[in-house]
Amino acid sequence: MTSSAVDPQVLSRARRQVFLALFIAVAVVLHVFETLLPTPVPWLRLGLANVMTVLALYLYDGKAAWTVSLMRTGLGALLLGRLFGPGFWLALAGTLLATSAMIVLYRAAGRYLSPIGISAVGAAGHALGQVLAARLLIIQHDAIWQILPVFLLFSVVSGVLTGWLAAVLLARLATHPAFQRANVIAGEEREEERKL
Amino acid sequence: MRSFWRFMTTGDWLLVVALLAIAAAGLARLASAPGGGRVVVTDGERTVLTAPLDSHNSFELNGPLGLSRLEIDERGARITAAPCPRRVCLTMGPIRQSGELIACIPNRILVRVEATGIQEAAFDLISR
Repeated sequence: MTSSAVDPQVLSRARRQVFLALFIAVAVVLHVFETLLPTPVPWLRLGLANVMTVLALYLYDGKAAWTVSLMRTGLGALLLGRLFGPGFWLALAGTLLATSAMIVLYRAAGRYLSPIGISAVGAAGHALGQVLAARLLIIQHDAIWQILPVFLLFSVVSGVLTGWLAAVLLARLATHPAFQRANVIAGEEREEERKL
Repeated sequence: MRSFWRFMTTGDWLLVVALLAIAAAGLARLASAPGGGRVVVTDGERTVLTAPLDSHNSFELNGPLGLSRLEIDERGARITAAPCPRRVCLTMGPIRQSGELIACIPNRILVRVEATGIQEAAFDLISR
């Protein structure tokens, strides 16, 4: 018998937990970095942090995607000093709609889509959520909806680009021992044996 | 790095094209809508006339004292003739920004510019 620290099942679980924590950390950094980066138009951002949500959705499940996206929005706003400010509610509404749209679509049609399609729909949901929150909280006039087509156009383009990045990263990460189906299943089987 | 095109599935294409089509349809609707704003005329109680601000037009407005003439051109909307004694309304135009107002009190005519688009957020209030 060797040390239990190298028990494949324990190791696999620990690896997956570490990766999820890494995804959250990277997402927070990308979120803050992108917000601080000067852009030609104030609201124009690529949304790189959403790559981490997509990875969590594919490599884990919907719950992990929620963990990454909500932690990112909360911690990002905290670091930027925007927690509970007007911008925070817009970001939160965007995140809520984006994450739910991606999870629903992934469950309904994940077999027919790559992360690019999932990410594009998430970006569209983000645009819709932000305009919706702006309509309800800031500019209480229906004229605000006129900005939605412009937002949608930019967000679909950026969603496709970040989805591509997610697809590339996913292809690399899927070969890591922490995420190989065989390892995960073998680990689960071993756990079953132990229970018996 | 694997090519972008190898990742894209048929489903991805359908989704992306559909989303872009929705955005394009929204933009097309915006472009076809009359820009700038519109002129709204009320007699103090009901709206008697609305007209787009971006086209040349002239209207005869019937008030208790008689006919007032409203003209709309690229400078905005203004009253060019009025039957009232002091003719203050003639000096109040042209108006073109959302919220601006011409009032012909004796002839009971109120001309107002309303935004149809985002530009309404530019001003909270205009006072003269």
